[in-house]
Amino acid sequence: MHQSYRYAIAYFLLFGTLLLASGAVLFFSKIGFSYEAVQSYYLGSKALFSTPKSSYGLLEVALPHIGSMGLFIMVTAHFLLFASKERKRQAVKPAIALFVVALLDIFSGFLIVEGWSFFIWVKLAAFALLQLLGFYLLWLLFSAIWQGVAVK
Amino acid sequence: MRFTLVKDIKNDTLMRPLLGGLLLFILLFVSADILLKSDHIGLTESKLTQTLFGNEEEYIEAVNEHFLLELIHSDIFFMMMTLLTLSAVYARLCQNRSLRIININVTMIAALLTIILLPSAYYVSAHFVLPYIVVFYIWHIMAFMMTLASLFYLFIPQKSDLN
Repeated sequence: MHQSYRYAIAYFLLFGTLLLASGAVLFFSKIGFSYEAVQSYYLGSKALFSTPKSSYGLLEVALPHIGSMGLFIMVTAHFLLFASKERKRQAVKPAIALFVVALLDIFSGFLIVEGWSFFIWVKLAAFALLQLLGFYLLWLLFSAIWQGVAVK
Repeated sequence: MRFTLVKDIKNDTLMRPLLGGLLLFILLFVSADILLKSDHIGLTESKLTQTLFGNEEEYIEAVNEHFLLELIHSDIFFMMMTLLTLSAVYARLCQNRSLRIININVTMIAALLTIILLPSAYYVSAHFVLPYIVVFYIWHIMAFMMTLASLFYLFIPQKSDLN
């Protein structure tokens, strides 16, 4: 691989790490990582003086995430095309799982406001998995790049 | 990233106009980002300080924490996609290896620093406001120059092409 591409991908990894980390900070700061916190964020809370979220309000947040999450997963995973067969094989399942948990993360909010309280757990689990799998995919890419440098 | 695999992108009938269009959009993105940030949060030390911490004398409230976090979060995404694409195109077109590596590194490091310095200014100290503005302009100017250089390499025949 061209050395300049390796630099570009290495920086992409750093940006990707910051993107996932800032997403986590935003989730903790805006929603909170507990059943009650997610419930009061989507359904409103008298104690916190917050109103329930509307479907259009959720769509406003969902729309940029639909495009950007799909693009982020695809771009990150496609760099493993340059990696060894073993790395590619390791990346397939996490990449597919990432698409699924990203969809669950985006759309569970709509189901929570429709009264499906079970999806509060789905939202929490999907977000946690999204972070874990996202970092795992970045780690796979990092190790592939590192291996390329070490072999050279 | 298909263009990374095309051997002669300068003479490829599809890739040349496609990359030209992409570079034009990157140029517009970089310019529009400066205008938008200048209006939204301010790109002078006094205006950005006022946005982040408010101004009691002028009854201006400090910016909401969530607004700032959302701004940083979306900025990271657009930066990573724009700079990844731009550096891949630039790496492919610029023949001078050391210039290429220096420019890509300076731009990326400056862009990464903006992500670190803005929250540092908000949460840690106002001393980070000026460094944020400096690195913000560095990465935008560098990205602008890399885009212009890529357009130049793409459409103006070079000595090496004639040989």
